Amino acid sequence: MNRMEDAKKKYDEVPIPEELSERIQWEVQKADSRRRKAAEDSGRKRKRHLYGWQKGLAAAAAAMAVFVTALNTSTVFAQSMGELPVIGAIAKVLTFRSYEMETEDDLHISVDIPSIEMIAEGTGNLAESVNEEILKMCEQYADEAVERAKEYRQAFLDTGGTEEEWAAHNIQIKVWYEVKAHTDRYLSVAVMGSENWTSAYSETRYYNFDLEKGRQVTLEDLLGEDYAAIADASILSQIPEKEAESGLDYWEEDFTGVTEDTKFYINEAGNPVIVFGEYEIAPGAAGQPEFEITG
Amino acid sequence: MAQDLYDKVVAYIIENQNKFYRLAFSYVQNQEDALDAVQSAVCKALEHYGELKNRAAIRTWIYRIVVNESLSILRERGRTVLTGEEAQKEEPYEEKGFEQPDEDLYTHINRLEQDVQEIIKLRFYEELSLQEIAQIMEMNLNTVKSKLYRGLKALRIAVQEVDI
Repeated sequence: MNRMEDAKKKYDEVPIPEELSERIQWEVQKADSRRRKAAEDSGRKRKRHLYGWQKGLAAAAAAMAVFVTALNTSTVFAQSMGELPVIGAIAKVLTFRSYEMETEDDLHISVDIPSIEMIAEGTGNLAESVNEEILKMCEQYADEAVERAKEYRQAFLDTGGTEEEWAAHNIQIKVWYEVKAHTDRYLSVAVMGSENWTSAYSETRYYNFDLEKGRQVTLEDLLGEDYAAIADASILSQIPEKEAESGLDYWEEDFTGVTEDTKFYINEAGNPVIVFGEYEIAPGAAGQPEFEITG
Repeated sequence: MAQDLYDKVVAYIIENQNKFYRLAFSYVQNQEDALDAVQSAVCKALEHYGELKNRAAIRTWIYRIVVNESLSILRERGRTVLTGEEAQKEEPYEEKGFEQPDEDLYTHINRLEQDVQEIIKLRFYEELSLQEIAQIMEMNLNTVKSKLYRGLKALRIAVQEVDI
């Protein structure tokens, strides 16, 4: 037997903890129920019978409502109206609500919800409806993340984990935002949610405003009618550079082209920056690849 | 169709979970982190299985995710992932004639630079083909080969000793 075979033997002898199959099973169940729910949701639109599972869902929704109330009335809850960067004289981003808390099951939650204030003629209630959407997204994300963490905790305890071991997991849920650009012309804000124990659910949404016109900006506004073709060509031409830089192989064949729903923000130069999800067109190590389109 | 693919991925994961665990363990070197790495890799694989549609090989796709998750845990834990030059510096100095032929190869492999280490583990521990490794590492085949030879040389293993 040569030395390599000895090393392999040592590798193969690493004991497999019992917990492994339980944790894998748990992930599979989680994915299964996510798929079932998605299938049921699309089924529900067609038929409106009250199935047994719907009652179950209603009970779950009620339980969640109780939790949400607890979250918002917690003593740790602190509403701050701290002003963040003032953007020219016509728009600014405020922290609408900010709180940090720790639940009794050792979840650390920190939330900063932005609110956009616009003082410009003809914007109507644009800011208001956008703010409503942002608020809804942030709250929904935080709630769902807490639910996920609670399910994880339950599974962890059910499979023999102790409370102390759970506390050591240090689960953190974070909702926050970033001002990507604040120029005379544009305001671009990213609103993000993430959990430290899994990146599968991380979510980022971008809100881009044209301050002169008082409305949200589309790729077409920035690049013209042929925006899709322009962006596609630019992205494909940038991929080789990015591959050379990172040493990673991008999956051009998976790139299906830019549409009006493609995510982007606006940078300080006023150019759109297209952002792909993790594993969308490149291996996970590339993170969320960004492409500035200079038109 | 989608259901088929999903079921296939699930079946593959369940069947090969011990392999994923061993591979993750060889990076993070402790049970808790190895479990975390495998769990989040499985979570990602099931979440993103739809992106596999253009990919023939489930195997290389999942191994890549497991390796990435293991490396990202190493990074999070602040343990340095050795790259190129640093790793070279870590090579122990050995006086000619004082080489320890019995030095534990398993430990020695873990001290090689990151990508060389990865190639050796995938080739000799997991017994993947060089072609598959090239896909997992997103490198071309010749790069994989030259890194493999470099690794064997550092380990003082003659190419004839092993099955490449």
